[in-house]
Amino acid sequence: MVKSISTEWKEIFRSSEKKNNYLEYVSRWEEKIGAFLEFNPDLGLKLASGKGVFEGVPFAVKDNLAVETFHLTCGSRILKNFLCPYTATAVKKLIDEGAVVVGKTNMDEFGMGSSTDNSALKTTSNPWDLNRVTGGSSGGSAAAVAAGLVPFALGTDTGGSIRQPAAFCGVYGFKPTYGVVSRYGLVAYASSLETVGVLAKNISAVREIFEVIRGEDPMDHTSLEYTPSGKIISEPVLGVLGGDLGLDEETERSYRKTIDRLNKLGFPTIEIDLPTMEYVVPSYYTIAMAEASANLARYDGIRYGYRPEFSENPDELVKTARNRGFGDEVKLRILIGTYVLRSGFQEQYYVRAQKIRTAIREDFARVFSEVDIILMPVFPVIAFKHGSEGLDQFQQKLADKFTSSVNLAGLPALAFPASVEGGLPVGMQFISPPFEEERLFRVAEVYEREFPPADPPGYSADWR
Amino acid sequence: MYQSYIGLEIHIQLLTRSKVFCGCKASFGDEPNTNICPVCMGYPGILPALNEEAIRMAYLTALALNCEISRNTVFDRKNYYYPDLPKNYQISQFGAPVGKNGYMDIEFHRRRKRIRINEVHLEEDAGKMIHAGEVSLLDFNRTGTPLLEIVTAPDLEIGEEAEVFIQNFRKMVRYLGVCDGNMEEGSLRCDANVSVNLRGRGLGQKVEIKNLNSSKFVRKALNFEIERQEEILERGGTVRQETRQWNENRDLTEAMRIKESAQDYRYFPEPDLPPFTPDEEFLHSVSSLMVELPLSRKKRFMEEYKLTDGQADFICEERSRADFFEQTIALGADPHQTATWMSSDVKRHLNRLGTEVNESPLTPVRLAKILKLLKEKKIHVKIAKQVVEKVFTEDLDPEEIIRRNGWEQITDRNELGRIIERVLRSYNHVMEQVHRGDSKPVGFLMGQIMKATSGRAEPQLTQKILWEKLSLRVVNILSMGGAISATFEDGVIVPGRLGNVKDLFPDRKSFNGKRIRLEALELANNLSEEITPEDWALLLATINEKLKSTDSAGIVITHGTDTLPYTASLVYWFFSDTEIPIVLTASSTVPGKSPEAEENLKNAISSTLTGEPGVYVILGDRSYSPVNLKFQHVGTGGFTNWNMEKPLYRGPSIVPGDFDFNRETLKAGLEDGINRSFIARVFPGMKADYLIALINAGVKFFILELYDTGTANLRETPYSIKNTLLYGRERGVKFFCTSQQEGIVDFSEYITSHELWKEGAIPMGGLTTESAYTKLLVSVMVSETEEEAVRLMESTYESISI
Ligand SMILES: [Zn+2]
Repeated sequence: MVKSISTEWKEIFRSSEKKNNYLEYVSRWEEKIGAFLEFNPDLGLKLASGKGVFEGVPFAVKDNLAVETFHLTCGSRILKNFLCPYTATAVKKLIDEGAVVVGKTNMDEFGMGSSTDNSALKTTSNPWDLNRVTGGSSGGSAAAVAAGLVPFALGTDTGGSIRQPAAFCGVYGFKPTYGVVSRYGLVAYASSLETVGVLAKNISAVREIFEVIRGEDPMDHTSLEYTPSGKIISEPVLGVLGGDLGLDEETERSYRKTIDRLNKLGFPTIEIDLPTMEYVVPSYYTIAMAEASANLARYDGIRYGYRPEFSENPDELVKTARNRGFGDEVKLRILIGTYVLRSGFQEQYYVRAQKIRTAIREDFARVFSEVDIILMPVFPVIAFKHGSEGLDQFQQKLADKFTSSVNLAGLPALAFPASVEGGLPVGMQFISPPFEEERLFRVAEVYEREFPPADPPGYSADWR
Repeated sequence: MYQSYIGLEIHIQLLTRSKVFCGCKASFGDEPNTNICPVCMGYPGILPALNEEAIRMAYLTALALNCEISRNTVFDRKNYYYPDLPKNYQISQFGAPVGKNGYMDIEFHRRRKRIRINEVHLEEDAGKMIHAGEVSLLDFNRTGTPLLEIVTAPDLEIGEEAEVFIQNFRKMVRYLGVCDGNMEEGSLRCDANVSVNLRGRGLGQKVEIKNLNSSKFVRKALNFEIERQEEILERGGTVRQETRQWNENRDLTEAMRIKESAQDYRYFPEPDLPPFTPDEEFLHSVSSLMVELPLSRKKRFMEEYKLTDGQADFICEERSRADFFEQTIALGADPHQTATWMSSDVKRHLNRLGTEVNESPLTPVRLAKILKLLKEKKIHVKIAKQVVEKVFTEDLDPEEIIRRNGWEQITDRNELGRIIERVLRSYNHVMEQVHRGDSKPVGFLMGQIMKATSGRAEPQLTQKILWEKLSLRVVNILSMGGAISATFEDGVIVPGRLGNVKDLFPDRKSFNGKRIRLEALELANNLSEEITPEDWALLLATINEKLKSTDSAGIVITHGTDTLPYTASLVYWFFSDTEIPIVLTASSTVPGKSPEAEENLKNAISSTLTGEPGVYVILGDRSYSPVNLKFQHVGTGGFTNWNMEKPLYRGPSIVPGDFDFNRETLKAGLEDGINRSFIARVFPGMKADYLIALINAGVKFFILELYDTGTANLRETPYSIKNTLLYGRERGVKFFCTSQQEGIVDFSEYITSHELWKEGAIPMGGLTTESAYTKLLVSVMVSETEEEAVRLMESTYESISI
């Protein structure tokens, strides 16, 4: 049995009294935050294997990960009624260890967004401040974990989609090395960038879940055997970014504070330079949208998903289904993705973006010859407000550079709750070379011991 | 003059157990939408997992096509929307396919040509959309089955050539076991690109042709399309770049309604599959799967086992057949015998059962056993045929069948001797008759011996012993008329009678110290220029009868000089595998006028007694091959052989063992061939229109006697045969080309001969007009289809050593 998750969690489905308490606690929160698109522990209990290190432990799954008998909406109208016939490998591994899927969490449609407000199906609010967004796209998972509705949740990270909502909601958000966790069952947005990852309340839970879900999968030929060096660095050197990073006041303060704290905890820091950082966002979006334009082509209303009542011909059926089924942000990204892949334009956009991607990877490799871990902000601003008072879609994209650079390079990164500023959590991230996840966990553990994460107001564990 | 360029795009469905990216069964004809899963249905979240069997087959095919093998094969997404394509992109290979820059050699009219292969790539197949009235239905069973696309360079020139390519390619993939090659069911699909331009101007405007679901349609559609484009250019027009399809009901290509804008597939590397980087072990496993391919196997069979082109073609048609052949050989069977049996009796039984030999009760062991028994004279041919039949019907071993039916042959010399003595004793008077000089009763005696042994006496040995006991050899003389049997009356040659021939050797009972009985038959008494199909039919039937009767030591045919080259070669094509000497002779003068007639006949008879089995033409003290005999001038030494370094007297026959030699059937067969054939000698001023008139009159086969190594006027003038060729090709008329000069016609020399070849004329190599003509008659008679007849005609080089 894992130690990271308190035994109460393992008991909640053992008696109807405990279960009722749990359902009551969840519904109290759900009225306010709306983290789940589908909450149905009974379905999950039917799937549960009953035995294993996570025996009886509930967890939430982002709604772009396949879980048999549950819906798989990806936050989109086009898949609103889609019932999933199979289970994603990562989910399956947890079920095999006894964990219980309680529901599917809200997200930006197909993972496209940094607020979860791009969900076509529901609005999810930040448990720390209901006027604010949870971040995205794994916003529902982050909110559910922060509010204590589940001890952990699975999310997916294409350009920061686990780490940014984790930072906004004050939980751990872990993105593993690309390929280490099978993508089978993860509804593709940008295949070459995304990974399945973990959102949890404490770092040892992250580590233990990672141990279960990682490993080569015959269903995913891009998955890799987990081959860490096993080398333990007793005094890791942290690289930090200097100069004006364009952060808001809270984030800037938190970053300085975190560096300070880490120094005091015995981690030397040196300033590093990542000149390719300026090219991250255009490169990231070019590649992501190109892949998305193909990945989302399958939603045509023919075999599953939204379909108009009547169509003159197959062409019209596809057009109507997609026009009505997709939201604006999705349509925008498909259009741009299609544009950059046109023959004659590929060299200018797609191929160039791939070249930049290589340069970014090399840039990181160079830095990692000097430092062991990089410490970076997750997002330039703290959780912003819903609607027009928040960040517009374009600003949100520009703000992705700290997170999406990591996806371009395929590196592991861990967002951790660094501090609370003005009543809102601020997250920072540790980044390491591929397969060196253990470095991230060790330094995060030291930090956690001294500066344990805070809980949002209204959080309670007493009902258990 | 125009040049046409054809490139093919071939898709083959690989014979893997499961689909290329999922575990679904890759089979056809099942209930719609039963072999599907979330992966091949493109459900959200699924990923492709590459089937190793499919990639191995892809590499094997690329290797067989002599491609540069990729060490880093990248999968790409080909993006387009179509309802039968679940992901709305197809996983294919674009920049780094399995194989590049290969080639496949084909043999077209005896010429080996190298067709370049641009690339070989692996991809997934789409489903099927069926429009049924108001609704459109989709079947996804085929979705995701592995498809290999092979793209050739535009190295093919005419439809016939593309047809040969497709047939060879089909044979190859079946040999490799990667595809069943069924074009009708779509497991082998072919699209073509055709362009036409003035010679030397490079490629023209490209037109794509789809829906070519048989090799015949490939030929017809391409020829139609080439002609269509030539006509457009001829009128000064321009060919529109478009996609057309073959309409098999109307025998033409028609434009397809397809979206105006050029499709942009927006290829990019498939992020869900890592590049396939084969290691040495994988590449080794692929090479170990390589088999000897049809063309080289055929070549080896011809060289190693001395099979004829036709035999080797038949044996190598299917890998299982060729394997069966070699397994039988390995058990000690004679290659020629094995091939003959496989392509006659065995083939007939298989056709009847509709199966291949490897799936039949006949095993190599069983066939080898039958041939061994035959060779050891334990059974004779007739019994062997019955044994083969019983193997098929009763599935028993040959020994068992023979034992059960009591079919063992008597081959013991002493035992046979005793039986023959007994028969001769009871027919004492018959023996006396023979000794008086009448050999007719020999057949009767043979019959009595067979009766006494229930047909189990080994015929040849029996005959030998019988002759020994009778001290007799029979030579049959068949008189066909001509000067050799004529008389000279009032200054003109009058067609002769048999008596005239017989009178040359009155009462002669021994030749070269051998006791012989001359048995003469008058088959015709025309001058040889008057010979008719009926005369030939009688001659052939009689020769067959004499060969069968087994009491003949040899056959002499007396004939006129004028048409001797025809009759001699005709006899050869029918009886080239004779077991006794067959000698044709003639005389330019009548007996008595000079010693020529007498001398020639004497030499002919002598050679039947001393010579090896075979068909000979004996004139004076020289012997000529019956094939390629040329009558140059009247008088002694007036004959010669063309293109014969080594004279040809004997060889495998193109006539099957069970051919019906009934006189009437022969007559009808010959007349049928003759009525559809015409020998045309090209000459300056020859007009296409005249030949076209002949085609309209029913001529189906031309022997075109060209100049030199195969040239003729092919310019666009009335005095050219180009239009005849075009007109004829459309109507399935065949042009077999010989030369007015001695030499080999092979169409490789001049531009006009190249053009001839392009128009589908068939070079006859070293064959003379006369021999080509008679071979044509025989080929038509023994073939079930016209294609088979043409194939026989093409198998000329093997029969003539140059
Ligand atoms: Zn499938």
